[in-house]
Amino acid sequence: MKSIVRCEINGEEHEVLADGRDTLLELLRERARLTGTKEGCSNGNCGSCTVLLEGAPVNACLVLAMEADGAQITTIEGVAANGALDAVQNAMIEHGGTQCGFCTPGIVLSAKALLARSSRPDTDEIRAAIAGNLCRCTGYDKIVAAVQAAAQAMEKGP
Amino acid sequence: MNAPEPKTDLKVVGKRLPRIDAGERVTGRAVYPADFKRPGMVWGRVKRSTQAHARILRIDTSRAASLKGVLAIVTAADFPEVPMGSSIPFGETGQDLWVISLINMAREKVLWIGQPVAAVAAADPHVAAQAIDLIEVEYDPLPAVMDIEAALAPGAPILHGHLITKGVEPAPRTASNVGARTLIARGDVEAALATAAATAEQQVVVDTAHQGYLEPQAVVAEADPTGFVTVWASTQGAFQTELMVAGLVGLPLSKIKVIPLEIGGGFGGKILTHPEPIAVRLAQKCGRPVKIVMSREEVMIGTGPAAAARIAVRVGADRDGRLTAIDGRYHIDTGGIPGTATTLLMQASAAPYQCDNLRLEGFDVVTNKPRTEAYRGPGGIQAVFAVEQAIDALAQKLDLDPLELRRRNAAVTGSRMPIGTPFPSIGLTTILDRVGAHPCWTDPIGSGRFPRGRGLALGYWRGTSMTSACHITIAGDGRPMVTMGSVDLSGTRTTMAQVAAEQFGLSIDDVHVVMGDTKSAAFSDAAAGSRVGRTMTAAVVEASRDALEQLKARAAEKLQCGAGDVTYSAGVFGTQNAGGASIALADLMKATLTEGAIVGRGVSTKLPLGVEVGAHVCDVEVDTDTGQVTVLRYTAFQDVGKALNPTAVEGQIAGSVAQGLGWALTEGFDYDSQGRLRNASLLDYRMPTALDLPPIECVIIETPVPNVPYGVRGVGEVPIVPPAATVANAIARAVGVRIGHMPMTPERVLRAIKGEAFGKV
Repeated sequence: MKSIVRCEINGEEHEVLADGRDTLLELLRERARLTGTKEGCSNGNCGSCTVLLEGAPVNACLVLAMEADGAQITTIEGVAANGALDAVQNAMIEHGGTQCGFCTPGIVLSAKALLARSSRPDTDEIRAAIAGNLCRCTGYDKIVAAVQAAAQAMEKGP
Repeated sequence: MNAPEPKTDLKVVGKRLPRIDAGERVTGRAVYPADFKRPGMVWGRVKRSTQAHARILRIDTSRAASLKGVLAIVTAADFPEVPMGSSIPFGETGQDLWVISLINMAREKVLWIGQPVAAVAAADPHVAAQAIDLIEVEYDPLPAVMDIEAALAPGAPILHGHLITKGVEPAPRTASNVGARTLIARGDVEAALATAAATAEQQVVVDTAHQGYLEPQAVVAEADPTGFVTVWASTQGAFQTELMVAGLVGLPLSKIKVIPLEIGGGFGGKILTHPEPIAVRLAQKCGRPVKIVMSREEVMIGTGPAAAARIAVRVGADRDGRLTAIDGRYHIDTGGIPGTATTLLMQASAAPYQCDNLRLEGFDVVTNKPRTEAYRGPGGIQAVFAVEQAIDALAQKLDLDPLELRRRNAAVTGSRMPIGTPFPSIGLTTILDRVGAHPCWTDPIGSGRFPRGRGLALGYWRGTSMTSACHITIAGDGRPMVTMGSVDLSGTRTTMAQVAAEQFGLSIDDVHVVMGDTKSAAFSDAAAGSRVGRTMTAAVVEASRDALEQLKARAAEKLQCGAGDVTYSAGVFGTQNAGGASIALADLMKATLTEGAIVGRGVSTKLPLGVEVGAHVCDVEVDTDTGQVTVLRYTAFQDVGKALNPTAVEGQIAGSVAQGLGWALTEGFDYDSQGRLRNASLLDYRMPTALDLPPIECVIIETPVPNVPYGVRGVGEVPIVPPAATVANAIARAVGVRIGHMPMTPERVLRAIKGEAFGKV
């Protein structure tokens, strides 16, 4: 069974034909061709597919495409504005927070969700915020440092 | 190749520079094979064995074939049979193609649950999944052996009727489940142990673990109308993938090209092919490009994890704390197909020490589990989990500080390695001095609700060199363009841009580095054995010099002098003649662009080894009510020769330690007696999250390797070697018991504390 799903992805209206079995992850990757959101496990354990659904971080693999009808979604492709990288992205680059890069989009979005609700998170808060995002390359320290640096940069303002 | 003199005034090498590919990673623009699409592309999916050990009686694909949307089906019959003994070039020993052929597709018999038996291509992934269910495989089940003990038991079911143990004299007359015995021995271990002032022993069991790369294996393959095949792969070695696919599918090497896309972690698990040959065969059969993306469950049951092991070690020392004997027996669970070499892990466990009497005996044992593959310093963490606990127990028996015991016995440059040859340059004593002076060793451990302890363990990994090659062309604006034959597994594009920038006296922003494909770059071995950073550095240095020589010849014409009189510095050619003229590299290229290409070539084939050594220190707190171990502090000391980019080096060390801590405490495959993996998900196979790990401090020590550009050593493997032993030694200091089973889960720790016997937990 297929039906039309209408949603707003990164500020753009999308109207896609989705299979009833499709997840939001498949809608994003296969129908909308936004492949920045990664599939690491498809059952909500690794966080590689983290996107913001109505501003809240979710595992896109655990949301059915049909459930996203009418929703506002932010993916990694929507984080940089007009080609200018966001504070979290810049800090991840600067602090060596990305290695193989596969977990990076999900971590950037989890960090953005944290910084949207807490402007001066301590390291425990940062670790808790990204605890749903597995990273196998870094040991997490450089990611934690990057999120802290991003918080400071955002406080200072552009 | 000419080894350059060490540079003292480095401008780019050794600097903390961000990865040149970081921007595409943080924006989601980096392309991994799962993200890649070709026009008309369809989806492949693999049917996997549901039996751990069985004869295949019949495979019926007719129902699947009649499903609408199914375009092609393959089984073992679609691949040429690879005879035993076939191999493809790979480093020092070659790679056994027969092994890879059985990993690719079972033939006559299945040897583990998850081994491929068939595959389909369909227009839609949901249809491909449906078709897989419609393929009927009839099995004649055989009894399975699920661990080393069962495999060695008298009357055990035999996996391979032809398997006669190598390395045993006289050769056995009957088949067994032991592929090979390997012995490294010198002196008289028994006599040394009998006369030692103190001895200690440690037995360990280590569960199978997984590399845990976040990106499941994925591939896109296409055969054009002439039969030329292109493979877009996530691999540690594009050329190895090409050799394997060509060998398994039966293609001449001139008819296949492998294009490496981004790789989402490999750690040893993406050297051998998994979906690639199947995707190629499906693409050939259906005439459409085929994509296969493995699911996480397929990754867990159907790729090559790291070996389980049973290891028993005895050590002895004299009254002065000099090690007199190391005796180790290492049984390595190689999974369903024999052929795992045990020599490197045996050497690794004894190499940090000078010891006259050694007997290291290794066994390669087959079981009905997935064929194991490399995982970061393969076998090192298992072997050292045993040896470094025994050494620590020896220090306790001698009433000697564990650091002091290591100082008295540490290997030094020129001392005898386990295999007898003299150690190349090694900075272990420097490392131990740094440990002794560091707060992680001198700070009071503090107190908590539960007992705390501090552990120390050493690690060694040999690494390898093998072949790396690159070429450098010069763009019309004078900027060097580096094409590497190796993939970028660990920031190689960035560090090689640093090396090329240094050689040309330019900024890193002036250098462009790409991973070449197998038809545009020169042959390079896979990114494995901590080799690419070192050997590609040598290749880039050579290629830079070659390009500059060619440029100097051009500059000589412009400057009207002999090529030997041309000087070069920081992007400008000059002459040594008085009042000499000069021309910028950019202007020279602009003026001579149409005179033909500048192509600097560089290759490194036999670079001296860059052996890795490290010492790790950690503090733990052990919850004596639950057995939960919390790592409070972790410090890794490592001699890296020269850190090309300290940020990248720390990323390698901390990531490697994190993997070691995961295996040490929570990661282990849990098989039932029928060979079914009970924890085939990332929820139940528990890799560390950000909340599970302490900050990991990296202390970088630089003892350059002679005759190697910049003195670079291997980095990425050795840091996974000591963590389990380091934690175990800390646990022993905290609660007075040694944990012999890894991962050291709360249940196992609690049972040890409560005094229950080591063994089946």
